[in-house]
Amino acid sequence: MAYLGVDIGGTFTDIVHLDDDGGVTATKAHSTPPDFERGFLAAVGKVAEMRGESATDLLAGCEIVLHGTTVATNALVQLRGAKVGLITTRGHRDILPVMRASGRAKGLPVDRLLHASEQYRPDPIVPPELIVEVDERIDAAGEVVVGLDEGQVEAAVADLRAAGAESFAICFLWSVANPAHELRARELVQAAAPDAYVTCSHLASARPGEYERFAAAAINAFLGPETRGYLTRLKRDLVDGGLRGPLLVMQASGGVAPDSLAGDLPVLTIGSGPSAGVGASSVLAQQRGEENVIATDMGGTSFDVALIAGNQPVRSQSVVENQYEFYLPRTDVRSIGAGGGSIIWRDPVSGVLRVGPESAGARPGPVAYGRGGERPTITDANLLLGYLDPDNFLGGDLRLDVEGAERALAAVGEEVGLAAVDVALAARQIVNAQMADLIRQMTVERGMDPRDFAVYGYGGAGGLHVAGYLAELGSVRGIVPLGTLSTTWSAYGCATSDVVHVFERAIQLGSPFSGTLLQDTLAELEQEARDELSEEGIDAERQVVDRFVEMKYPLQIHRVEVPVDEDEVARPGETLGQKFASIYDQLYGKGSAFEGAGSEIVGCRVVGRGRLPQPRVKAAAEADAGEVPSRSIVWAGEDGAERLDTRIVPAARAAELSPIAGPAVVAAATTTIVVPPGATASTDAAQNLVIDLDGA
Amino acid sequence: MTVPEPAFDGRTYPYVPPASPPESIRPLLHDAAGEVDPTDFEVLRHALWNVNIEHGTTIIRTSGSPVVVYAHDFNPVILDEWGDYVYFGPWLQYLVAASSPAVKWILENRHPRPGVEPGSMFMTNDPWIGATHQSDLAVLAPVFWEDRVFAWVGSSLHHQDLGGTAPGGFNPVAEDIFHESGVVPPVRIVEDGEIRTDLEEEYMRRSRMPELVGVDLRAQIAGCRVAVDRIETLLERYGAPTVKGAMRKIRDDAEQAFAGRLATIPDGEWRSQAFLEAAGPGDRGLYRNSVVLRKRGERLEFSNEGTDPQIGALSCTLAAWEGAIAAMVNSQLMFDQLFAIGGALRRIDFTAEPGTLTSALHPSALSLAVLTLDQCIALAALSISKMLSCSSDPSLHREIQSSMGAATFPIAAFSGADAGGRPFASLFLDPVAAGMAGWSWRDGLDVGGWPWDPQVAMPNVEETEAFYPLLMLWRRVVPGSGGAGRFRGGNSMELASIPHGIETMTHHMASAAHHAVPLSPLFGGYPGNVNRFLMQRDTDLRELLAAGHVPAPGQAVVGTEEELPPKAFGIVQGNDDIYVLVWCGAGGFGDPLERDPAAVVTDVASGAVGAAEAERVSGVVLDDEGDLDADATAARRDSLRAERRGWDAPPAPREGKVDGDPEAPIGPGLGVHEHGGERVIACGCGAVLAGAEGNWKDGALRRETGIAEGNALLPDPARIVDAEIVLRQFACPSCLRLLDNEICRGDDPPLWDIKLGGGA
Repeated sequence: MAYLGVDIGGTFTDIVHLDDDGGVTATKAHSTPPDFERGFLAAVGKVAEMRGESATDLLAGCEIVLHGTTVATNALVQLRGAKVGLITTRGHRDILPVMRASGRAKGLPVDRLLHASEQYRPDPIVPPELIVEVDERIDAAGEVVVGLDEGQVEAAVADLRAAGAESFAICFLWSVANPAHELRARELVQAAAPDAYVTCSHLASARPGEYERFAAAAINAFLGPETRGYLTRLKRDLVDGGLRGPLLVMQASGGVAPDSLAGDLPVLTIGSGPSAGVGASSVLAQQRGEENVIATDMGGTSFDVALIAGNQPVRSQSVVENQYEFYLPRTDVRSIGAGGGSIIWRDPVSGVLRVGPESAGARPGPVAYGRGGERPTITDANLLLGYLDPDNFLGGDLRLDVEGAERALAAVGEEVGLAAVDVALAARQIVNAQMADLIRQMTVERGMDPRDFAVYGYGGAGGLHVAGYLAELGSVRGIVPLGTLSTTWSAYGCATSDVVHVFERAIQLGSPFSGTLLQDTLAELEQEARDELSEEGIDAERQVVDRFVEMKYPLQIHRVEVPVDEDEVARPGETLGQKFASIYDQLYGKGSAFEGAGSEIVGCRVVGRGRLPQPRVKAAAEADAGEVPSRSIVWAGEDGAERLDTRIVPAARAAELSPIAGPAVVAAATTTIVVPPGATASTDAAQNLVIDLDGA
Repeated sequence: MTVPEPAFDGRTYPYVPPASPPESIRPLLHDAAGEVDPTDFEVLRHALWNVNIEHGTTIIRTSGSPVVVYAHDFNPVILDEWGDYVYFGPWLQYLVAASSPAVKWILENRHPRPGVEPGSMFMTNDPWIGATHQSDLAVLAPVFWEDRVFAWVGSSLHHQDLGGTAPGGFNPVAEDIFHESGVVPPVRIVEDGEIRTDLEEEYMRRSRMPELVGVDLRAQIAGCRVAVDRIETLLERYGAPTVKGAMRKIRDDAEQAFAGRLATIPDGEWRSQAFLEAAGPGDRGLYRNSVVLRKRGERLEFSNEGTDPQIGALSCTLAAWEGAIAAMVNSQLMFDQLFAIGGALRRIDFTAEPGTLTSALHPSALSLAVLTLDQCIALAALSISKMLSCSSDPSLHREIQSSMGAATFPIAAFSGADAGGRPFASLFLDPVAAGMAGWSWRDGLDVGGWPWDPQVAMPNVEETEAFYPLLMLWRRVVPGSGGAGRFRGGNSMELASIPHGIETMTHHMASAAHHAVPLSPLFGGYPGNVNRFLMQRDTDLRELLAAGHVPAPGQAVVGTEEELPPKAFGIVQGNDDIYVLVWCGAGGFGDPLERDPAAVVTDVASGAVGAAEAERVSGVVLDDEGDLDADATAARRDSLRAERRGWDAPPAPREGKVDGDPEAPIGPGLGVHEHGGERVIACGCGAVLAGAEGNWKDGALRRETGIAEGNALLPDPARIVDAEIVLRQFACPSCLRLLDNEICRGDDPPLWDIKLGGGA
């Protein structure tokens, strides 16, 4: 049986087919918005053709189709969604619109934070006139203060429908403490409007804190109809096309879930693309036996970073999308505007050289693309220095204009008093340092040392810079995936994902911990997770359940996630306090905790994982030996720019020529890897290039 | 009694540091700065910024206080060896002024004993040295390199209770500082990297919430540790001269950007004033607070000239006042300089008369200093806006804003015992959700928050209800609470709270302003609503709840409605009483008769403004469907404008008209022109109002009326104060455009708030 992983982005649809023998077929097709399923099927056709079989046979032969989609993400970014009617608790219709008074600056880059006159709230997800209050009230303990007025709900649905609402969000205060009113209101909506899409806030997000929960529900309702419509059409087309197995959809949590769940909770798919890439890195990390990995993706406009610590992708609990903040446990992927397209410029006030965050994007793109770009970019710098081959960029699809790049860099150089080549070297160093800063922030703020991590660099520009930010971090080992899969990394991540469900519940337990509340709550959540997995056809031996408690010192706001095992749960009084304290010390430094008042448990979380069979990836055949070419490349030496004759090793021959001593450049079809002087590079068993800065 | 010569040493008078380090401590300072190449600079600029961010996020994650985590009442800082600013953090901006003088005082007074040494940290909450009020504790740590002080890192953070007679520290009845939390001059809390547990206990012992205070002190220490460690790493890698060179250049670049903006502004003086209310419970007085801004050549001077003497629980110290002003300088003039305020401060002089409300002497009560400080921020914003309106750079006109809703923070504290008998005490943080002022080119954001603090967030209802035995019946945007104008002021909110699961709870009110007198808006904009503490007694709310209705505003039958004064203690709320807290809205900008009628239609349709008020103030008439009645609107606006012709004649009327664009603007409506050999101020219509260095108001039509004329929500000021309060309006005698609205006491002279020239 085979697996099909398909990742749809705004521009390309990537597809990976993994067969029983470890055979890999991977390719790309153009995405076809808004009917993304057409691009999906075209990609299936392309892979089938490469494998010499019909699309029907290929689909029939697939055990599972695993799919990452940006349909929801794009719809949110472009604010293209359903007209949402929101029904809420009387007295509180303004919760969503006022965004806790902080929405105007939420998620803005720090250099725009102070500029209040230029800040706006985002366009509303729910127009204020489509927010209706009804009589009902539940208190913090979950007790009903005022019962739900069902007549008012029915009237609200009628009014909202008349005003054009296609989708409904039901958002009541304290629905996390007692969901009865939200669930009943949903029944009433469904009875009155059977075709309408309905979201309950407690299902979109299980946490207290109404603004963030309502935001998640509203966004879900906004994206729901389009996402569900797309998945329904896709599923129908795939089944018609021969698929017998399930369609699983990538979640931002880093796992996949059945298409029906993704249709109910599209909010969980926002940001799933980068999570899939991290998933692929996880698989690679397991194969290579590396527990701690910094996964970096450098493309044209942005640099994304995620951490894998102790074999697990590190998650964040809250998310900002389109200036709306909501709680959503998902792989923590953070970005800065640093990519090949980042513009190199002189700051007129300080007179110094800057790089980004403005990007030339794909159009006009770098000067070297010859598409009208006039301001130099990092890609132009890499070209002028010699790292990129003007005649062989993207497999020769695009001839690069070296003279244009040099002219643009020289123009900036004139303003800052540097030669074009020195501008290029300086820009590389600046962008490498920015990327290292982001990595350092993500690790250090969690009490981790980046030097304990291997750094994976993928994306079009990852190989060009990974050695650079390794050096900035003081790390030594960088890995660049080189094989067939490196260009369809997110699709590969989908294909190798587990089914993941996260179940959470708030509890309140003070130290010394005793009783069975913790044990009971975790057991219930575990049962819910196992039931869900079983229902999806994942049998018990493939189910893995990880349990966590959220702990804090009693007078603190922020929580720390503490993984717990069977034993600790059974006897929480003995070890939990200590374990929390040691994690806390690791995060914030010894002596940071004020332990006088004990600690407390405020939440339980269970992550249920259904392990899907992992495909084996077979190494491709090696190419013929022959003369290794070389060209002159500029490197940053002790005393400035240094021009060295540098070997250009074709990726297909990297294994045969390992270890490759720097200076060298390893050239693959879609990426280029820089091996600086003093470093070495070798391939591993799975065709990845391992860079060692120490030259070991 | 002989008056001693003022000693600005941080004891009776505020500490004013010397311009440069005294000889005695120079050997301790590592001040060698080298050339930094552009690449290293760009790398270090980011790295130092990130050090400060890491410092801040460490505090947020380890702090225990909602005031820190939600209201962001803290901020970390990096200073150079002598305590001058390198970077300030992106959280609460007015804390800016506290750290620098504290470091300089420590260097002058704590060296060589007990000693500024590697691994040491100091803490202080002394408002005459380096704190806005006693609740804001500063923790400061030197970064050592080669046995000398290379830099300092530190933070200021609001501690929830540091003792004194009022829980939470906000004491409306304090007569002097001895009624309040104790003052700690800088002490060495960390030695050789170890916290001094004796001092820690001494510090915690004063608090009603010692554990929480302990958690927050540790959070500040943890933050400093992270920052010191990270700067040491940079020093190892780049060397001290390069890092110092980068620090200096960060400030130089910011200074240059600031100087570039000043160069577009003519010399002149811009003045704004407001009133503080209720020096203590029962007091019905009004006290003037004034922020005067002068530009002379390449420097700015801020002065508190005209501010009344210190009194009761209404004053703040020099450090707080400077911080307030720096917050708005940062937001309006340095918004693109990544919080490198030090560059601007080099070109600013602060001149405050000691013994006044904004430069109080020891032993003035200070616990409510932040409320006075909030008003100083709002006044600084107005004075800076008036100055910017005279800039020749149109892009700076986009930073002009009217009167902000965050002109003070009404402290509504509550306490009691929960159903289990456990005591609780806190305050509603919700008023951070203030309306933002109308700008010169766009509307103020409804409930936009604090303009100078980009990250402050209102708590969730569920967070408040989880912690305290109360139920929030409603929390809503109040229509029309922002002032009208060509660009309207942002609306603010109100909340209603009842005891839940308990029979009674107790309230304290500690507010300092804008219950009676709203802040004067800018260039013809109208005022927003005021703050109010309303207790609706003996309502039928329990019957309504039992019958399945959550009472909406105005729905419950109220026995009596009490309006509580700005300062009150021990107000008991029973089970049938609804406590309504209203906080003030922001002012509009420009004549409302010039507001785009389509925008008014949207205002009314969205519920932001009532139809009647829209017609009364903006002259926009809607038909039954809510659509614009263009003819009726034109007629209504004509008649409203024509009414102004009947206002009082100008005291010094001028003849003549000018043509063409002004040689220099004054706001959107006025400008300086050449006219018959004289430089004059003329209205946009060309009518000459005054000589260029005179007060344009002398040539304007004027009238005095009640403040409710400016906003129908405004209640009678006589509920709170004795003085007669008036709205003074000024209009062009020719085109009848409304040019200014001034809210003041009936016997105040007209404010001459824009005075051009004055020489260098």
